[in-house]
Amino acid sequence: MTHPVLSDDPTDLELVARWKRGDQRAATQLVERHADAVARFVATVGERVDVDDVVQDTFARAFASLDSFRGDSSLRTWLFTIARRLVLDRRRSERRRGGGTRMHMEVQDADAVTEYDALDAVVADETERRMREAVARLTPTQREVFTLRVAEGLSYKEIAEAVDTTEGAARVHYHNAMRAVKEFLDD
Amino acid sequence: MTDCTNGEMRDLLPDLLHGRLEAAERAEVESHLRSCEDCREELELLRNMRSALRRAPAVDVDSVVAGITPYRAPLERVPSRSWGGWRVAAAVTLLAAGGTSVVVARHEGPAREDSARVVALKTSDSVLGPAQGQAAPAQAATTTGSPTVSAAAPRELALAGGTIGDLDDKELSTLIDDIGSLDAVTPVDVDNGAAAGPIAPTSPSGTNN
Repeated sequence: MTHPVLSDDPTDLELVARWKRGDQRAATQLVERHADAVARFVATVGERVDVDDVVQDTFARAFASLDSFRGDSSLRTWLFTIARRLVLDRRRSERRRGGGTRMHMEVQDADAVTEYDALDAVVADETERRMREAVARLTPTQREVFTLRVAEGLSYKEIAEAVDTTEGAARVHYHNAMRAVKEFLDD
Repeated sequence: MTDCTNGEMRDLLPDLLHGRLEAAERAEVESHLRSCEDCREELELLRNMRSALRRAPAVDVDSVVAGITPYRAPLERVPSRSWGGWRVAAAVTLLAAGGTSVVVARHEGPAREDSARVVALKTSDSVLGPAQGQAAPAQAATTTGSPTVSAAAPRELALAGGTIGDLDDKELSTLIDDIGSLDAVTPVDVDNGAAAGPIAPTSPSGTNN
């Protein structure tokens, strides 16, 4: 049995292939590579959810269904998609349990968030705090799109895949979000 | 803070921030930035925003990895044979058979008429006598060989090879004999092959040996 030559910086797909051959270190590398981005995304869009729990669940589910990942989108975009669904599932569950007054937002855009999210405690800088507050006031979809575009640098096409919408809609959400952020910061 | 009217340039600012532009495109955006204060302000806003949004709670990589189950190759799936599949196959077969029959019938119909020149001789009751209590089938028996008359034959005779006027004396005589013999034939239940009435003499014991 021959082994492929391993590069110093293997691609995601190479790491996936290695993990399938039984190399658990490949799984560790993939988690190290993408966990922070997934956590950022969850922390920003999933208010009041347990970020650690969602991140762990995201990777567990992703690895359990890696055979269905064809590499049409990047692995990170795929992870965002899974994380987003988990956040939405948790919101639904919480709403069914009657918890939280903000659960009415659910999947559809609704009232803007008026409270800080889970990261506020660690954001000391005033400018950053204002930035985060501005984002927290966006509608859920605007927040998802804006975060993926600004924090993660995803293209509109990738965002459309992650949040299950069209490129055109993603562009509109982004510009509406930017306008809302500017208005908040100008006040 | 106002928006630049050049929407295309504004759209590319996040890509510039993340270094995702090709060289030519990047040069174009940077050129625009030199002359557009609105876009410079927006780019600065994007930088601050990225900095704020990129703060993330620490992730315990080990616990995440511990939650990942080792890979198991999917089992090869054997295609299941459901009744639905059989139904479809049966329907296709029936349609094919039906279609073939139609094609053959259309193809052979006129040709058979031309070549065999079927002539149905409707025998009237005055010729063949009453139907012995059984309704005569309305169909005409056709044949490509010499005319044959069986017990199951209807009270219509079919002659192949030409019209009745084409027959010579010998053939006509044979035909008349055949017609005459019809009165002696007892109808037979063609479905089960059993005689509907006595055809042949039976043995005294009632068995046909």
